[in-house]
This record gives sequence, C-alpha cells and structure tokens, in this order.
Amino acid sequence: MKRSYLGEFEEIVLLTVAVLEGAAYGVSITHEIIEQTGRSVRLNQIHSALERLEDKGMVKSEMGEPTAERGGRRKRFFTVTAYGRRTLEEIQEVRVTFWSRLLIRGMQSNELRVMS
Amino acid sequence: MTPPRLADRLLHLFCAPDRLEEVQGDLHEEFQYQFRRVGARRARWRYWRDVLGFIRPFASRRKSKEYQKIIPFDMIQNYFKIAWRSLQRNRLLGFINVAGLSLGMACSLLIGLWVWDEFQVDKGLPDGDRLYLVRLTDGAYTSDILPGPLAEALKKDVPEVDKATKFTVWSNDFLLRAGNRFGKKVGLYASADFFDVFQYPVLQGNPGLAIQSPNAIVITRNVAQAFFGNSQAVGKTIQLNNEKYYRVGAVIENVPQNSSVQFDWIVNFSEAEEGWMKTWNNNAFRTYVKLKNGSTQAGAEARMAGLLPRYQTGATAKPILQRLGDVYLYGEYTNGKPTGGRIEYVRTFSLIALLILLVACVNFMNLATARSSLRAKEVGIRKVVGARRLSLIGQFMSESLLLNVFSAGLAVGLVQLMLPYVNPLVDKQLAIDFTAPLAWGSLLALIGVTSVIAGSYPALVLSVMQPARVLKGALSSTPTGAGFRKTLVVFQFSLSIFLIVGMLIIGRQMHYIRTKQLGLNRQDLLHVAVEGNLRPRMEAFRQELQRSDAIQAVTTTGELPIRIGSTGSLDWPGKDPKTDASVSTMKVGVDFTKTLGINLLAGRDFTAADTSNYLVNESAVKMMKLENPIGAEVTFQRGKGRIIGVMQDFHLSSFHEPIRPLVLSNYPKWTNYFLIKTQPGKTEEAIQVIEQTARQLNPGYPFDYHFVDEEYEKLYRSETLVNTLINYFGILAIFISCLGLFGLATFTAEQRTKEIGVRKVLGASVGGILVLLSKDFLKLVFVAILLASPVAWWAMHRWLQSFTYRIDIEWWMFALAGLLAVAIALLTVSFQSIKAALMNPVRSLRSE
Repeated sequence: MKRSYLGEFEEIVLLTVAVLEGAAYGVSITHEIIEQTGRSVRLNQIHSALERLEDKGMVKSEMGEPTAERGGRRKRFFTVTAYGRRTLEEIQEVRVTFWSRLLIRGMQSNELRVMS
Repeated sequence: MTPPRLADRLLHLFCAPDRLEEVQGDLHEEFQYQFRRVGARRARWRYWRDVLGFIRPFASRRKSKEYQKIIPFDMIQNYFKIAWRSLQRNRLLGFINVAGLSLGMACSLLIGLWVWDEFQVDKGLPDGDRLYLVRLTDGAYTSDILPGPLAEALKKDVPEVDKATKFTVWSNDFLLRAGNRFGKKVGLYASADFFDVFQYPVLQGNPGLAIQSPNAIVITRNVAQAFFGNSQAVGKTIQLNNEKYYRVGAVIENVPQNSSVQFDWIVNFSEAEEGWMKTWNNNAFRTYVKLKNGSTQAGAEARMAGLLPRYQTGATAKPILQRLGDVYLYGEYTNGKPTGGRIEYVRTFSLIALLILLVACVNFMNLATARSSLRAKEVGIRKVVGARRLSLIGQFMSESLLLNVFSAGLAVGLVQLMLPYVNPLVDKQLAIDFTAPLAWGSLLALIGVTSVIAGSYPALVLSVMQPARVLKGALSSTPTGAGFRKTLVVFQFSLSIFLIVGMLIIGRQMHYIRTKQLGLNRQDLLHVAVEGNLRPRMEAFRQELQRSDAIQAVTTTGELPIRIGSTGSLDWPGKDPKTDASVSTMKVGVDFTKTLGINLLAGRDFTAADTSNYLVNESAVKMMKLENPIGAEVTFQRGKGRIIGVMQDFHLSSFHEPIRPLVLSNYPKWTNYFLIKTQPGKTEEAIQVIEQTARQLNPGYPFDYHFVDEEYEKLYRSETLVNTLINYFGILAIFISCLGLFGLATFTAEQRTKEIGVRKVLGASVGGILVLLSKDFLKLVFVAILLASPVAWWAMHRWLQSFTYRIDIEWWMFALAGLLAVAIALLTVSFQSIKAALMNPVRSLRSE
C-alpha cells in the first residue's frame, strides 16, 4: 500500500477521466465535474491537477485532431493508466472495508437495542 | 465572437510553448460555451479570469528537457541513414570521394608520422635542455668540427660549463672480437665526460667510471647481445682490431636510431690521441657541453667569446652553442647565425600534407556543390516539412563525417600497408602506435577537421536556400556555386602544377648533382677499410692490387673524398699574420690524384718520399696569392714543406658548399681507406682480386667493400628524399585532383545530356561537342597555370639558393608543367566528354 498520495480533488479528476472514457480533455472534465458535484471548478485547476496526475503516472495524454471551435487547435485527451486505475480501486477498497466495518458495528448496536 | 485579444497575448507571454495549444484551445472552447450560455460580456470577463488563473508555475514551466534531448539519437540515426542512401544513389561520386579522401589522409598521416619522428631526434636525454653542441664561427664560416683542446679549455675557463666532452668525427668501423665471435662495429673515442653529458640508460656497470680508464670499453646492448648473449658482459674482454684487449666496463641501452650521435662502442679518447690532436690548429672533433643548472646560453657564449685568442694567437673564431635538441633540425649556419636547415623540409612537407588533404576536401566540396541542385530539392522539401537549419547542417555534416570516418579507416589501413615500403625510403622506423592516446587524438582531430572542411560548404550553403525558390525550380537554371566550384578546381590544379614544377626542377637539380663533373672521377671507385694487418702492410697490399690488370690505381686516404670536413691552419711566408688561414685538408697516400682522376695543373703526385711536401688546389693557390706555387714553402700538419703539385679545383663536399682551399698531406699512417680504381667493366674481377689479397694479408678480418658512388649519394640523402617524396606527392595530388575533375566532368555531362542531344539533332559534330565540354575545364587549368607558375618559381628559386652549384630555372619547365596539366585535365575530362558526345540523341531526348 505504498501508493503515492492522491488528493481529494485529484481523485475526483481521475475518476472523471475514467468515467469520460477517452473523451476527457480540459473543458469536458471541467463541465463534467461542475455538473456532477456542483462545485465551481475552473480550467486552470483542472489543468494543474491533470499535470500532477500525469507526473504521478496515473493518466497519460495524447493530442487529438484540430477542432474548428478551438480555432484549429488540438485537444489533449487524457486516459487513465493501469496504475491510475489500480490506485482508484485501492482507494475504493479501503473505503469499502471501512464502510463495511461501520455498517457491521451499526447493525450490532441495533441488535443490542432490540435485545435489551 | 472572439475572446479578448489582450488576454490571449498575455497567455502567449507566460504559457509554455508546448502547452499553449492545448490550454488556449480549452480556453477558447470554454469561451464559446460561456458566450452561448451567459453572453459576450460575461464570457469575456470569465475568459480574463481563467487566463489569469493560469498564471501558475505549472503552466509556464518549460518541459524542454523532455522534448529536446541533448543528443538527439534518433535524428542522428536518420542523418546516417540518409547519408548512406545518398551514397548508394551515386556510387561513382561516393567512390571518388572516399578514394580521394583516404589517399589524402594516408598521405598526411605518413607525413605526420615522419614530421613527428623528425621532432623526436635527440630529444629525451636527461637534462636535454642543458646540453649544447659547440660550434666555432669566425662570423662567416661556421663549423662543428673543432680543435681537440677546446673541450678541456671550455670546462676550465668557462664557469657556466658543467661538463664538456669531445669525440672523434671520423668513422671507427673496427673489428671487435670476443672469444670466437667477431664483427665490425662503429665506435667513438670520447673524452671522460661523455657519459655525464649524454646520460644514456645504463644496463650494466658504470659507464661514467669505465670511460675514465684507457683499458675499458663501453658497449651498447646490441653489441653485448651479439658477443656475450644474455650473460653478464661487464668484466669480459673485447679485442679491438686484433690489437689491444679492453675490459667491458659497462653496457648501455642502444642509442636511439634517430640520434645524431651514433655508436656501438666507446673507448677513452687517449687511446686514439696523437700529438696533432693536442694542437689548436687541427680541427677534427665534435664537442658537446652541459651547462650548469641556472646558466644561460647567452651567458656562457659571452664568457666563451674571448677564449680562443688566449690559446691561439691571431684566432678570430669564437665558440657558439646550440641546444642539442635543435641541432638536427636547425643545423645550418650562415654568417655565424642559425638559418634553419632540415626544419625547412619538415615545414615544406607539413604544408604539402596539408595541401593534399585540402585538395581531397576540395574534391568533396566540389562534388557536393555539383550535386547541390539535386540535393536542393531535398533540402526544400525538408524545410517545407519543418526542418530547421541546424538539423540540415547536422545532416550534411554527418554525411561528411560518415565518409571521413570511412576514409580514415581506409587511410590507416593504407598507411600500415605502405609503411614497410616507406621506411627504407625515408630511412626511419615509422609506425603508428595504436596504444598512444596521441595517435588516436590526432586521428580524431584529422577526421574532425576534414569533416568540417569537407562538409562546411554543402552544409552552410544548401541549408540557407529558400524552399519556395528551390521548389519553383529557380535553382536548376542557375547552377549553384559555379563560381566557387571553379575556384576550387583552380586551387587544385594550381597545387598540382606547383608540384609538377617542383618535380621537374628538383629532379633536374638532382640529375645535375649526379652527373656534373666534380673534378674527380668517382666512377668504378671502391673503398676498403685500412684495418688490422692491412695497416702495417698497406704498401704491400697496394702493390699487390696494382699488379692485377683489372685495377687501374690504388691510393689511401683519411676521409672519403666526398665530404672533406677536417680543417687545419696553413702558414706560408708572406702570410698576413692577422688572418686565420683555415684550409680544408685530407691525409692521403701516394697516387692520390691518379686514382681519383684529378687533373694536375702543375707539378706531380705524391711519392713515398714526400713526407713533408704538400699538394694544394687552385683555390689554395689563389688564397696564398702565389705566382709560382710549385716549390713554394708552406707550413702545415707535417711541418715545413714544399708545394709539389697544384690540382684543378674539385668538389670537396656537397653542392651546397663552395669549393674551399685544400691542402693534402702525404700521411699514410693516418689514412683509413684504400681507394681502388677498377678498370671499367672489370669490377667483378677486381673485387675478387681485392678479396683474395685482403684475405691473404689480413686473415683475421671479414672482407668488406663499398662503392664511393653510394657514399656520394648519401651526401644528398635529404635531397634524394625530397626528390622521391615530391614525386610521389605530386603524382598523388594530381591523381586526387583528377578524381575530382572526373567526377565533375561526369556530372556536367550528365546535366547537359539534353543539351547535347538537342545540339546533335541540330547537327553538331562530335568534335564540336568535345570542345564544348572540355573548354570550361581547360580555361580553369590555364588560370591555374598562371597562378601557380610565379609561386613555383619563387619556391624553387629559394630551394636552389641552398646550392652553391645549381641549375637555372628555365621557362620551358613551366611550359612543360602547364602542358602536362592541360594534357592530364583533357584526358580526365575526355572520357566523359566522348561518352556524352557519342551518345545517341534519341536516348537522351526520349524521356521528355
């Protein structure tokens, strides 16, 4: 479990990249996060998070085709690497373990209440 | 609707270039989205906010390191691939380039080795910077053959001198015998300080101590090995000339082959010393001194200046010093000042090596520029696709580097193949020492320099071409670099013509030296050493030989009549006592003029009775201003005596030296050679007779003989070397130039295929087309003749100045050189021209 630390925001960005499945680039990720979380996110935050994620090796990027609405500029598409995916799964596992323990304790206290 | 321009500019300013496209794209897309959602005003406002949000280190950080590697390996790989392909596409040009470059490199490598070796002569002795050769100069004439007592006087009177040694200049080729082994070895009689001055590495014993003793001999490793094998040599005895036995006192390392002092054994000077050697007016020794630590040459010379008059009344000469390491290369003195010497040959050949290398590079440049109109298209396309100038330069340079590395490999191979043939020619043991970093360093430097020179023109010129112009075809109508190319061809042929003139003039001067009547006849002349029992039985041997009808005459002489170096001072009644009448001298036996075919102007030859009479030459008579020389009284080596004959002037030494006054004394005791004149055509028979007689009279010695002619050739060893080398280099330079010209001609003929086709269709004759194709090249050759002739004249004039007796430079030599150059150029070009002219126009025009 010696993974590099992933911040909360980074995790959300990484998840979004995973969810968007190949269509993830700066603007689409920003809009997706705004839509899903209601946070006010700005492009520069996304770019900087993506940069950090790429440095950590969790995402990789590739330049796409030029688009007219961007003035002929290309998009940088991000995809999650295997390492990134494993990190997400591990985070999920940790949470699941904690949640399951929390749920069992809750159930036990309910049972006690019933018995008394 | 467009986002605010000012914000965009700001973004350009700080955003990393490799990130700009993506960031700006995202910003613009967001702007369009916001524009549709919230309208122009707020979209612009947000755009500003977003751009400002990117003013963060992560956005402006240049990722340069990841994108530009310090050495772009894949690009270099590509360079070499392209280079290889362009070579493959034109094999002939590739071959010409490689052949020219490798020949040029091989030649400069060889010369480099030679030059390096020349600079190593007499270097490497301990305290080498304190060792000096002593010369005497009277302001006009400078000699390194000095009177015997000088060495001791220098040591005694000059406090700066630490050690001084003298040794005999004549060759002591003596028979050494130890037990049943014997052999002839050359040795020296040297004074006691010898091994303090020349500190050769010692193998056994103490040479410094050994030389003090008159009964010890110091030998070199070779001699020790030959006589005693691997056993201890010190303490054993060696018999010299079947006479005295010497104890081996020490064994030293072999004297380096390129040392100017050569010997196999050394015995104390006193063993050879005679009364006349202790006098100041007989010069026959070489003297070296070692100065004290901290003493300067100038200081020592100043102290020495007044030395001679103290010992010899009326002496005007003063000793001067030259550092041992400089003697070999700067050995020539005029008016008491060093004026160069062998260094000039070293310089000349270095220059020639450089020029030949340059000619080879020029070939490369020439062919590259010729092909440039083809390559220009490639360059144009590359530029359109986005190649930067630097990468184009890299491409052409790597092409040149590839060829040069390949050629250098070939050149090293060539040198290795040639060295066994070159070494005897230059009388050296040159070899490439592959373990020495210096060898690799120089090879790399050679490759580097040639690559840069050869690759510079195509790299720098082709890479600046405007792609638009090139691709429009503006280039094919005006051939690029035609002027430059012409200059290069002119340069190549100028050098070739220069070398041809050099070949002609040096060759003729050498021919002149070989065939000019010296005043004595060295044809059919043998020399045999006076040694062992032949010395006491000298006269018997002489008489015995003269009985054979294969032999014309026999005499004896102290030095070979080829390089008469000894001098002595002559005195005669009426001599101005202030002048120092130093004359050349030889000790000879009877029948001297008869054997050598010297013309006697008056008087007669020596007979056995003439113990204190002298023979003089014309110059000596002139010097003494004698009206009636025969019978005149003079005082010389053998005391007071009379002149019995006047010889016509003959050459005493090489043609570099003027004929000086000469006095011969009849002194058979001090002669070292029998000179034997054989009947023409009966040499074989004569040698048999000599050998039989020698074995009979002198059974202990192996018989050996030499031709005086061969010794005479040795006098001009440097000149012969120059003659041979310039012939080879000349031919090489011409060959390389021709290679280039051939390539160029091939190329022009190819380029003008269509033109020739059209001309032929319109009725041009083959002859006309030949003229058309050759004319341009011939013009260049003519320009080269005009340029090279004055330079060649000047250089050759200077070279000839070093000879007192020389040929004249005549105009026909230049004409011949020019004609040769024209002929060679025509021949080279004609092959291609004829091929092009004979080509069926249908074939050349069909493709259109």
